[in-house]
Amino acid sequence: MRQRFDGQLAALNRELISMGALCEEAIAVTARSVLEADRQLCGRVSALEEEIDQKEREIERVCLRLLLQQQPVAGDLRQISAALKMITDMERIGDQALDIAETAGFMGSLDEADAELFRRLARTVVAMVTDSVDAYVKRDSAAARAVAKRDDEADEVFQAIKLAMIDRLSQRPGDGEYALDLLMIAKYLERIGDHATNIAEWVEFAATGYYKGREVL
Amino acid sequence: MTKRIFRSVLLTALAVFLACLALVMGALYSYFSARQEKQLGTELRLAAAGVEAEGADYLARVGRQDGLRLTWVDADGTVLYDSNADAATMENHAGREEIAEALETGSGEGSRVSATLSEKTVYLAQRLSDGTVIRAAASHYTVPTLLFGILQPLLIIIILALALSAFLASRLSKRIVGPLNSIDLDHPLENDTYDELSPLLTRVERQQRQIRSQLEELGRRRREFEAVTGSMSEGLILLDRDGGILSINPAASKLFGASGDCVGQDILTVDRSPELRAVISRAHAGARAEAAIERMGLEYQLTASPVSGGGAVLLIFDVTERRRAERIRREFTANVSHELKTPLHSIMGAAELLETGLVKPGDEAQFYARIRSEASRLLALIEDVIGLSRLDEGEDFPTEETDLHELACEVAAQLGPEAQKRGISLEVEGGPAKLTGVRRLLWEVVWNLADNAVKYGSEGGHVLITTDSAQGRARLKVKDDGPGIPPEHQPRVFERFYRVDKSHSRQTGGTGLGLSIVKHAVQYHGGGISLYSDGGGTEITVELPQDFERK
Repeated sequence: MRQRFDGQLAALNRELISMGALCEEAIAVTARSVLEADRQLCGRVSALEEEIDQKEREIERVCLRLLLQQQPVAGDLRQISAALKMITDMERIGDQALDIAETAGFMGSLDEADAELFRRLARTVVAMVTDSVDAYVKRDSAAARAVAKRDDEADEVFQAIKLAMIDRLSQRPGDGEYALDLLMIAKYLERIGDHATNIAEWVEFAATGYYKGREVL
Repeated sequence: MTKRIFRSVLLTALAVFLACLALVMGALYSYFSARQEKQLGTELRLAAAGVEAEGADYLARVGRQDGLRLTWVDADGTVLYDSNADAATMENHAGREEIAEALETGSGEGSRVSATLSEKTVYLAQRLSDGTVIRAAASHYTVPTLLFGILQPLLIIIILALALSAFLASRLSKRIVGPLNSIDLDHPLENDTYDELSPLLTRVERQQRQIRSQLEELGRRRREFEAVTGSMSEGLILLDRDGGILSINPAASKLFGASGDCVGQDILTVDRSPELRAVISRAHAGARAEAAIERMGLEYQLTASPVSGGGAVLLIFDVTERRRAERIRREFTANVSHELKTPLHSIMGAAELLETGLVKPGDEAQFYARIRSEASRLLALIEDVIGLSRLDEGEDFPTEETDLHELACEVAAQLGPEAQKRGISLEVEGGPAKLTGVRRLLWEVVWNLADNAVKYGSEGGHVLITTDSAQGRARLKVKDDGPGIPPEHQPRVFERFYRVDKSHSRQTGGTGLGLSIVKHAVQYHGGGISLYSDGGGTEITVELPQDFERK
């Protein structure tokens, strides 16, 4: 019985990691679609997003079934409930990656200075998602806490982009669409960073039982 | 075990007990019933004789007797006398079985069980000479009543049996199980237990031997497998049907940066790149799949093959070198055709001009000279390509004792006019550097290096060729004071057709293959080249082993 349960937990783990990998891929492709102004990539992001949605439903079903049939306690319960929460954030990451790709579809290529800022933001956010999934893989609560710290970095770059756009609008009011599109994209990316932080928090919860510094389970 | 023994002991005890009880009860009951009936018969005959003689007076005299009831019934069934009840109140007895029988045949008998089933009454009747009937009756307890009477002792006996069985069962099972528990299963044959166990113990011993040998065999196979996979430079990962890692060799774990305890975990915990996931899912679906991945600046080819039984084998090759060689070969082919075409165009042009007579009379010699020089350039190029391809093929060349110093002097003399033209002083220094090698190739080495130094050195500069030998190695150093090779070009100057300054190639007339030939020739001899270059000149050092042995 326990062996079967362990098998199911391992399968859940596997599914969760592959969903995380899909998210990583989606953001990486999205970032490329913005930087290279490549509309073809939008289709790939949309396919990835669909796959992520499907994975979410699948994992949700597995989690609920496990909760119902096995009535897990302690560490197992933590893992399953954390998984249920994490997939919601991962699904949001997929949605936002698609939003970015769609917005990018209507944009031309970025100015060199903006591209540099965007690249920095994208690199930070991709690293955050990668680190949060890595932390989950290794059940490493220290690595999970480190993800939250990087969020400040992402916020900082977002602020820089915002200031650059304000500056641009005051000098060239005709660039309104460009400025707003880039701002939206940057905001979406920044939100993805927040979702990565959420994932990391749930990873810490799964590993230690502490959520946002408070013992929950 | 104790429970089972207890049950069987108890069951046996109870069965025996009940059987005895039934036997004794049955035997005694029928004996006493028979006896009672006989006695009753005697009593009846006595009473009959008494009544015949004395009539009712006899009966009144006899009166009520313990255990015996006498009834006198008239021929019509009216009760005349009863020892236990008032005759007047009694109903007509003509219908009673025994009386009816006696009235008819002279004697009758019957038995009835009381309403509560607790007593059984036996009746015997006899017809007297006057037609009346005398009846004697006696009653005794039935079997259930008897049993009920001894219920208490019966229960006590059963409880005793229970207790005894429990005690015996626990003792017995302890006796049986005790030795079993204390068996030393590691050395089954050294145990001293009862004989019935020895077949089991021999079997255990045999199986243990078998397991030990199988374990050893497995261990040996694993060590062999590890030795093979451990020394492989290719990465090898075995996966089970769920994607869990069964085995990962050091090359693969180094490549993926996996820790040592990843065996048994999911492959996704080691690496979750899209390419890897794609090939694994294809392999799990039963198809071979390949993908290219890049790790730490190196290119790898990933091959996943399905294994019967649901697993997969992942092989990871480092293809960086192969890809690079492919690229170089492609570039080389493109370069060769280009380099061959250029002089041919020149020749064609000159020949066409001559053919159509567009050349001013007297200028023909100039065009013939151009055709000749371009043709010789073409020839030099083709010779270089042939030489290189022979080196590539790994052909064996005859070796002989050669002195690099001698070669250097020879080359310096040949390059003298050229150097003089550019105002460069060409000097050879150092002592003899003898080695066994292919003279023609070594000459190419010295010639190409010196030629380059003269060609690319600054005008009016100085080129120095130094030779010496030490510790079994002959050394040749060519140093110029030209503009040097920029650092970003240094790693590539030994590639075929690679030119630092592409616009100058015409002017200097090189083929772009010189240094490539040097490199190959040095490699052929098992030597090494080092290049040092800065703004103040270039120094190329070649080191060759003196005892050359072609592998």
